Amino acid sequence: MANVTLNVNGEARTASVPPETTLLKLLRDNFNLTGAKLGCDVGDCGACTVIVDGKPVNACLMLAGQADGRDVLTIEGLATLDGLHPIQKAFEDNASLQCGFCGPGIILSAKALLDENPAPTAQQIRDALAGNLCRCTGYTKIIEAVQDAARALRGEPADKAA
Amino acid sequence: MRAFELVTATDCRHAVALLAEYGPFAKVLAGGTDLLVELKSSPHVPEVIIDISRAEDLKIIAVTDEGLSIGALVTHTEIMRSALIREMFPALVDAAHTIGAVQTRNLGTLGGNLMSGVPSMDSGPALIALDALVTVAGPAGRRQMPLAEFFVGPRKTILKPDELLAEIVIPKQNFGKPAHFVKFGLRKGQALALVNVAASLWVGRDKQVFAAPRIALGAVAPTVIRAPKAEAYLEGRAITPEAMAEAGRIAVGEAKPISDFRASAEYRQDLIAVLIKRALEGACAQAKAKRDRET
Repeated sequence: MANVTLNVNGEARTASVPPETTLLKLLRDNFNLTGAKLGCDVGDCGACTVIVDGKPVNACLMLAGQADGRDVLTIEGLATLDGLHPIQKAFEDNASLQCGFCGPGIILSAKALLDENPAPTAQQIRDALAGNLCRCTGYTKIIEAVQDAARALRGEPADKAA
Repeated sequence: MRAFELVTATDCRHAVALLAEYGPFAKVLAGGTDLLVELKSSPHVPEVIIDISRAEDLKIIAVTDEGLSIGALVTHTEIMRSALIREMFPALVDAAHTIGAVQTRNLGTLGGNLMSGVPSMDSGPALIALDALVTVAGPAGRRQMPLAEFFVGPRKTILKPDELLAEIVIPKQNFGKPAHFVKFGLRKGQALALVNVAASLWVGRDKQVFAAPRIALGAVAPTVIRAPKAEAYLEGRAITPEAMAEAGRIAVGEAKPISDFRASAEYRQDLIAVLIKRALEGACAQAKAKRDRET
């Protein structure tokens, strides 16, 4: 068994798991954080995206042991008691999601992008989200939501004309 | 995933010691973007996984006496963000950018991409076009060879079971050599190359002629290959669009593309000619931009 201790959403969490356990399984089954989804399980769909030490990764392609000692942010770590994170709010306002299965991964990919680049172009947003597949809506409203969220995070009013 | 034992290497030397202990029964885990997929689907899971992802001495990008040294564990994202690589070898940055997507580029490593040995890898052509060497660490010490000789077949490298790919070196004589990488995939994101090409060249000192041209191709043979006949044709020849197009046509005869569900062999042959011309044009444009900056 592998003993792992990681900082998940600002909280130290510990578990003892078989070595072949992925970070995704650890989060979902041991820590009951089911926001990260098991989609393709091979790193194509991005539904399992979480942010490890500031970088978005496929939690299905990382062993729990490799995450030992690292900082992990999941979708559960975004909203506060006061309300949704501005990116989540923008996705809601734009009706960017239908079934929502891809949402946690896309929102975390968007967060990692906006943390580094507060004013991305549409092409930069597409590049940052290329590893997240959505099979419901198409991507137009998702990209618009990221642009709205970027404006909100910069403290600018929403672009009503768009 | 089937059960295995996980051992963690603290540095390169430790990893080599672990390989000496477990070699034939072990597989090395770096970024995991290929290995974990394989472990999930394969009935033959190794008894031991040696996790080298914490070996900090394999994550260094530095200029040494030999050239530019890139540690095997440097990720594709780190290549894209390295000020040194962006300045010296933008073709490597372009190649890294075409691999997978953000999440897989954050995990996947340069060494891992090369170790996969897949003919369509995007790291191989640009490095081979720049005469890159690889340093391999083993129980008897280190040995070095051209990257072009490292690949021996599809998913096969020259590495012995007790050896570890430690670093990739671009030799000093190629510092500043104009190079360009082009990839043709079915989508812009997360697509394997139907064909990828890198070209590098110097422009003759006195005349506008090709000097030391290199052409490397992926996804058109059992391994990443060079196109020596096309290179020989260009050597010393005046730089013209016709010469570039002819080099592309010659290289078609040097490749052995296959037909698969992504593209037919004939389609890939057409791509080879077009992409080589574009890669050479890109490298020439870079040479011109460099000359304009310097004069």
